[in-house]
Amino acid sequence: MQFEIMRDRLLDGLSDVVKAISSKVTTPILTGIKLEITEKGLTMTGSDSDITISTFIPVEEDGTQIIQTIQPGTLVLQAKVFNEIIRKLPTNEVMIELRDGMKTHIRSGQSEFHIIAQSADEYPILPDVKDAERFEMPADLMKSLIRETVFAVSQQETRPVLTGVQWIMKEHELYCIATDSHRLARRIVTPEIQANSPFNAVIPGKSLQELSKILPDDSTAVEIFIANQQVLFKLHNVLFYSRLLEGNYPDTSRLIPIEYKTSITINGRNLLQAIDRASLLAREDRNNIVHFSTDGSPHVQISSNSPDVGNVEELVEAVDIEGEPLKISFSAKYMMDALKAIDGQDLKIHFTGSMRPFILKSIDSEAILQLILPVRTF
Amino acid sequence: MTDLTIANPRVIMHLDMNSFFASVEQAANPELKGIPLAVAGNPKERRGILVTCSYEARAFGVYTTMNVGEAKRLCPNLTIVPPRHELYRQMSDSVFDILRSYTEWVEPVSIDEAYIDTTDIGGLTRAYDLAQEIQMRILAELDLPCSIGIAPNKFLAKTASDMKKPMGITILRKREVPKMLWPLPVIDMHGIGKRTEEKLHSAGIKTMGDLATAEKITLEALLGKNGLRLKQRANGMDTRPVDPESAEERKSIGSSTTLPVDLTELEDCVPIFERLAKKVAARLETKLLAGMTISIQIRYADWQNTTRSRTLQQAIYLEEDLTKVALQLFQQHWNHEPIRLLGITAANVIERSEMVKQLTFDNFEQQEKEYEMDQLMSSLTQRFGDGIIKKGCTKK
Repeated sequence: MQFEIMRDRLLDGLSDVVKAISSKVTTPILTGIKLEITEKGLTMTGSDSDITISTFIPVEEDGTQIIQTIQPGTLVLQAKVFNEIIRKLPTNEVMIELRDGMKTHIRSGQSEFHIIAQSADEYPILPDVKDAERFEMPADLMKSLIRETVFAVSQQETRPVLTGVQWIMKEHELYCIATDSHRLARRIVTPEIQANSPFNAVIPGKSLQELSKILPDDSTAVEIFIANQQVLFKLHNVLFYSRLLEGNYPDTSRLIPIEYKTSITINGRNLLQAIDRASLLAREDRNNIVHFSTDGSPHVQISSNSPDVGNVEELVEAVDIEGEPLKISFSAKYMMDALKAIDGQDLKIHFTGSMRPFILKSIDSEAILQLILPVRTF
Repeated sequence: MTDLTIANPRVIMHLDMNSFFASVEQAANPELKGIPLAVAGNPKERRGILVTCSYEARAFGVYTTMNVGEAKRLCPNLTIVPPRHELYRQMSDSVFDILRSYTEWVEPVSIDEAYIDTTDIGGLTRAYDLAQEIQMRILAELDLPCSIGIAPNKFLAKTASDMKKPMGITILRKREVPKMLWPLPVIDMHGIGKRTEEKLHSAGIKTMGDLATAEKITLEALLGKNGLRLKQRANGMDTRPVDPESAEERKSIGSSTTLPVDLTELEDCVPIFERLAKKVAARLETKLLAGMTISIQIRYADWQNTTRSRTLQQAIYLEEDLTKVALQLFQQHWNHEPIRLLGITAANVIERSEMVKQLTFDNFEQQEKEYEMDQLMSSLTQRFGDGIIKKGCTKK
């Protein structure tokens, strides 16, 4: 095989593909990137067996010639080495050539590398997404729904299914739900192009975080294919596959309270800053807990106390407070995560007692819901 | 490293109560004075071992940790009383209160030992008189004897308090270290146990003098950082300050029991752990504390000791929780050899008010019930007084 390619375009493609490369893989071939050159263009694939990313660089785009294929073929190159070499080559023209068995020549300007390739025969084929449910969403919307949910997945492997975000399509709405059993984040969107039938899949949080990094910040359409064990996100020239998590995701709908004892309308940014200040005194080795109370005045009181360090108290003006007075304590981190996901504006917090889950929503939309379980004090 | 003792001379006292438990018993019951007396686990059971004994008993060759049968053989007139820890704790607090009436620089080390930094209360000029006054007050007010060591640092003070017992006052100066300490075998030095002694012997280090003059490299290879520390101590150097708070931080609450017969079956150990957990829980309750780290102690029939601990995400204080963690640790670490002693300790304790429990979807409903119950109980107790209501249990 032999081809010439523009270095900047090759690097763009590589920067996506290397996101799937992990040094911890058990299959040695997966430390490499597979390159396949045809008359149409170059396809590069990287995988850690959970995530597989494949990018395509066409021979020609908008009248500019990017690749000149001299001889089609495939090979696998060590990902780290290949990426570093391409990054540091002296000119924008790169010639890659395989000859004498597995010896690969990479030439650019006066520089020439000889590296050993592996045969592509051993490289796993792309995951199967036959019979998939297909729907579509703009990239920027997808990016924000990932940001609004993925932080709430469990960081512990004790219940593997909770390390993923549940995507469940019902009645033409896509519910994205993440919980680590201490808090829950839910985002509802209505995709423009709908799937043919309802589905229910759990996508690893880590996959969504990686996907988020390669999604553009514009409304480019992303096609989503949800199959039995795999999900495929298809962007312009990039295929992003992820394994789905097995196991039953708990039914979270019954956990969300629908009747409230205390409802508070408050500015999200002011509250976030107050919680952030209150958590300054928390000691690193202990849970970072803030106390939150209302007493009939139009303020909420935020306080925190660390016996060795000191204590802090702050009043935050509420827009409106309805219902019973309340005293509740919760993790400052969970509260800040939730407030950041709702992003700034006025929001409503609904409580049903100091030992029960409470929810946060934007005042003008039901699309985002954040739920937090308080802590019990003694 | 700067030598703090030179840059900033201090006068540290180490106070050591003489055969504390026995002395408390004698103070409480004057009939026990002047006779051979021992406090032992449970005198009726074969495994009762002496927790402490009076000086009259020591004259017969009786010593602490000896078992009751053996002690009785050496001294047939030995009077044995069961321990009363509550009383010892009270008396210990009274001793520390007397010390704190002189200075706030009091660091309790254990129930019957404390360091006092007397530099600011005239220790530099009249340490001996001060020590005498403290000793006489403890004797007059509490009827308890003690020995006091006076020295420029903690290590020497502790060494000095050991030199004259009972009712001794000993001054140990740094310049006396070569004459007084260096001829002693290393095992006599505080901080050196059997294991360390063996290692030192293997390198030909027999006396404290050998240790004081040993090569740093040799000691570091042998004992790591601790080797260097021991060398400094053997040269009479110790820069640890008297820290009144350190006892607070280390605080732990535990209970252990020597078993009437060696146990070999898990089901026999379960009720023992339940009983120990109950005791620890009761003591945590009276102080309103909870433990972040739970450890168990196993002593095997051949006197091998094993301690295993687990640090939890959430502090615990309930009998059931203590039992659960202790049994988990036990099942994980017991090597199935016969056991003669078991213990549970709650360490890393925090105030109950500092304690929080993150609720989860799986537990919040049950926690809410418990919380309401606790609220109800504390409001009843507040209205009608202590003991008006207690948690019961379901009959199995």
